Amino acid sequence: MNIVVLVKQVPNTTDVKIDPKTGNLIREGVASIINPEDRHGLEAGLQIREKLGGTVTVISMGPPQAMETVCECLAMGADRGILLSDRAFAGADTWATSTALGMAVRKLGEFDLILAGRQAIDGDTAQIGPQVAEFLRIAQLTYVRRLDAQEGKVIAERALEDGCEHIEAPTPVLVTVLGALNKPRHPTVEGILAATSERSPVEVWNAADIGVKVQDVGLAGSLTHVVRTFTPKGARDTRRLEGSATVIAAELLEALRQKEIRLGE
Amino acid sequence: MGAIVIDLEKCNGCTMCSRACPYQAIEMADKKARWIEDRCTLCGACLESCKFDALFGEMPVPEVPDFSDRRGVWVFVEQHDGEFHRSAFELLGCARGLADELGQEVVAAVLGNDLKEKASRLIHHGADRCILVDDPSLAYYQTCTHTHALSELVKQHRPNILLIAATHLGRDMAPRLARRLGLGLTADCTRLTIDPDERILLQTRPAFGGNIMATIVSRFSRPQTATVRPGIMTPLPADSSRTGEVSVAQVDMAACREFTRVLECVLPEEKGVDLASAKIIVAGGRPVCSDRGVSVLREFADAVGGEMACTRVVVEEGFLPATRQVGQTGQSVRPAVYFACGISGAVQHKAGMDGSRYVVAINKDPDAPIFEIADFAIVGDLFEILPALTRAMRER
Amino acid sequence: MNKIPRPTPEEMIRKSFARFTDEEIIPKAREMDEADQFPRWMFDKIAKTGAFGIRYPRSVGGAGGNTTQFCIMVEELARGSMSVAAFTAMQCLMGTNFLFEYGTPEQHERLLKPAIRGEKVASFALTEADAATDLANVKTTARPDAEEWVISGSKTWITNAPVADFFTVLCQTDKNKGLRGLDFFLIERDTPGLYVSKKFDKLGTRATEISELAFTDVRIPHENRLGKEGQGVGNLMRILSVIRVMTAALSLGLARAAYDQSARYAMERTQFKKHIGSFQLIQQKIANMATEIWASHLMTYTTAEMIDQGQRPLKEASMAKYYASEVACRCADEATRIFGAYSYSMEYDVQRYYRDCRFLLFGGGTSEILQTIISRECGVS
Repeated sequence: MNIVVLVKQVPNTTDVKIDPKTGNLIREGVASIINPEDRHGLEAGLQIREKLGGTVTVISMGPPQAMETVCECLAMGADRGILLSDRAFAGADTWATSTALGMAVRKLGEFDLILAGRQAIDGDTAQIGPQVAEFLRIAQLTYVRRLDAQEGKVIAERALEDGCEHIEAPTPVLVTVLGALNKPRHPTVEGILAATSERSPVEVWNAADIGVKVQDVGLAGSLTHVVRTFTPKGARDTRRLEGSATVIAAELLEALRQKEIRLGE
Repeated sequence: MGAIVIDLEKCNGCTMCSRACPYQAIEMADKKARWIEDRCTLCGACLESCKFDALFGEMPVPEVPDFSDRRGVWVFVEQHDGEFHRSAFELLGCARGLADELGQEVVAAVLGNDLKEKASRLIHHGADRCILVDDPSLAYYQTCTHTHALSELVKQHRPNILLIAATHLGRDMAPRLARRLGLGLTADCTRLTIDPDERILLQTRPAFGGNIMATIVSRFSRPQTATVRPGIMTPLPADSSRTGEVSVAQVDMAACREFTRVLECVLPEEKGVDLASAKIIVAGGRPVCSDRGVSVLREFADAVGGEMACTRVVVEEGFLPATRQVGQTGQSVRPAVYFACGISGAVQHKAGMDGSRYVVAINKDPDAPIFEIADFAIVGDLFEILPALTRAMRER
Repeated sequence: MNKIPRPTPEEMIRKSFARFTDEEIIPKAREMDEADQFPRWMFDKIAKTGAFGIRYPRSVGGAGGNTTQFCIMVEELARGSMSVAAFTAMQCLMGTNFLFEYGTPEQHERLLKPAIRGEKVASFALTEADAATDLANVKTTARPDAEEWVISGSKTWITNAPVADFFTVLCQTDKNKGLRGLDFFLIERDTPGLYVSKKFDKLGTRATEISELAFTDVRIPHENRLGKEGQGVGNLMRILSVIRVMTAALSLGLARAAYDQSARYAMERTQFKKHIGSFQLIQQKIANMATEIWASHLMTYTTAEMIDQGQRPLKEASMAKYYASEVACRCADEATRIFGAYSYSMEYDVQRYYRDCRFLLFGGGTSEILQTIISRECGVS
């Protein structure tokens, strides 16, 4: 089975801090990681390759530093990595990103399965998977937490808000996965040394390589634009309650009663 | 589309353009520049490089089209087993405000089977009109059939704004629809307003795990499409005096190929908790990751008649089910009072609960960020405070 | 158009094993320590990363890495658990090195490759009751008899011994030749006459098992002598600087763990309505820890690089090990002071660092003997 895995390098948002003075994100010193759910997508691809044979190709769009992410995927076991890197790709919304990723998948040629994380932790949009599927006019399965691939089809369990559904789709199909799907393996030492060698199978593709015009990708090709960013601010007057637990309990219940909050009904 | 034209009379083969091209789209042949169309991305770097006016090109410039004829604020009405999802009423409430500001109508778009009878509820909750696509293939959600039906409706009616709930269903369908129709799409909006000057939709959403908020616009496509986080917008009270047209649209469902086949739909055994509509929530963080912790939390929740909820770590550690997780990756809640017990207040968690009317925070760490958004701050051990509160409740 | 450089293997090994440590080791470190036994399941997890073959070429199933990369790996593991790092180091280096260098192809096939895959556990037996630093006093003997060697004697403080499948054992072959009368022998666990004592009850590194070995006329084949006759100590010297720089890396890992926890705690813990990190005496501790860790880092990796360039920097490796292990102990000590009474609680990691760091003071040579060696290397003796 020819498998393509879409991965994104993201800042580790749990490390992201806000400058209390300016309200800006402090991105300095924040580690870049493979988007967590994308690692689960890669793990799924590697497991399917182990079962059915075939190849796993990783595609990542990002700045030159994203080479690290592609190499990490190779170290985990991917056969080939494609880094879509071009200044023209910068600032893309999901429309422009799915154009670039879709064109890159097309350039790869034949594929049976595309895997991706449900969403990236820096944007949380969950739009790239479905938009690439639509670009390629293939089936999509999102929110997948169990996956069984066979020749010609996949059977998946999709998480719904309440419960789940078991669903079947013919290949080619795009699947976005949840962390519950599997436990990603750690790279091997041998894999790391091979992936970081200058001969490792990573290609860097630019806009011309995937056959797009600069107007169709990146910021220029985006349909949505950010007009303002700001730090969310909770403006509440905090009242501190002090004393013994019993005193605090009595004070709190009385205060809530005065606010007409009815407890215990 | 644009093209690069080379005036071979003026070209003296200086190679400047070839070297300026980042894409190897200009080669030198017979001492003249030659354009390789396949590799050209129309970036324009070559035009600036030529000192001899030998290169011409027209670069496509994105223009904001005139959308003044687009009218109507549409709400996609999510339904499960013929019941409208509560998010539909929240979206109608939000759409009503936007439509009134624009002087346009609110349209509820329903995809399903045999739902005409129920459509009046949507009118009562704020829709001016309701358009249905009525087809057996739409009874149960499937990506391709729903995307097809809704995109055909949008093509027929050309609305100005389209709101879709950011549920699993909405987040499965909306991006597919947007890609098909060439629409900009903003995910998981928590605030929607109309820009007073441009009269366009300002779509505000959290980014970076809720660390910042971004306001996003779609100037280049219509309808302006957004998915909206459930549990954030306020539904309007039902007004049964409201009337409106309910029409059935004709969509050729045979033209759509559904790739997937649903084998089975499994509902959880324990009926899902409805945190989003809970009035009182008692939520625990890492310190409740023990059997004793959960029981202390439960006793207090029972005493105040609230629902138990938790942070992500409590779910990950297996002490409470995912249906009780509040935050960026869980539920958004807005109860009258939210008891945050042993919750530090990571932005990811705050994103799900900062719409609560009152927040009571109990934490050992006086610097816990949760105190920044708390109305009542209790610096202390929840294992002392909660039992005391439970006792006090019982004594009343 | 392929000009974007790959990340270096060193960066990636650090990042990858840092993640392994954070995800797999740290959440289980306390549990492993309290269980007081060799966590085979953790050994198996590490095996899956190919860690045990990091120093060996691909021909035997290794990864072809260098000493720097090996040190980075064990440093990261030691940040999570000194026990885990210690048995990994044993498997990567001392337990398998002589088998790799001097074993037969058949022994490689049957023992080395499975050890690199993590299917067999390796151990290394040097120390005796009366011979540790003083190797010339080794009394375990190997005498030739027909086509076999007959081993008699005993060893003590043998890391991994209770769980090992094979041992590399230093034996005396010629009493009259002193250090030139010592050789290494490969002895498999199921060989008749080999007795493994029950594991020692120890202060620290409790998830690494250590015990005694006793040999009563243990007969092993001729080819089980690893290396040329009389070359045992000489061959040991060839990897002594690797052992010492590796121990420095282990020390660095523990020091960083103690420092990281201290720095975080200093910003969390409040007294007098201020976080304790705002007090200058705490700041001094943090500054000293950070500075000494940086010095340890520079010494460790500068020395590792010298080894990778083909040198045998015994003086520098001894300095790195001596300094880094003392720094680890100081950091563990300072961490207990910053944590106050909480460092006394078994629920906090600080007490484990405080116990585990003592292991570093003798493994790979005591500080005292290292100071003697350094002085001698400096020409003062």
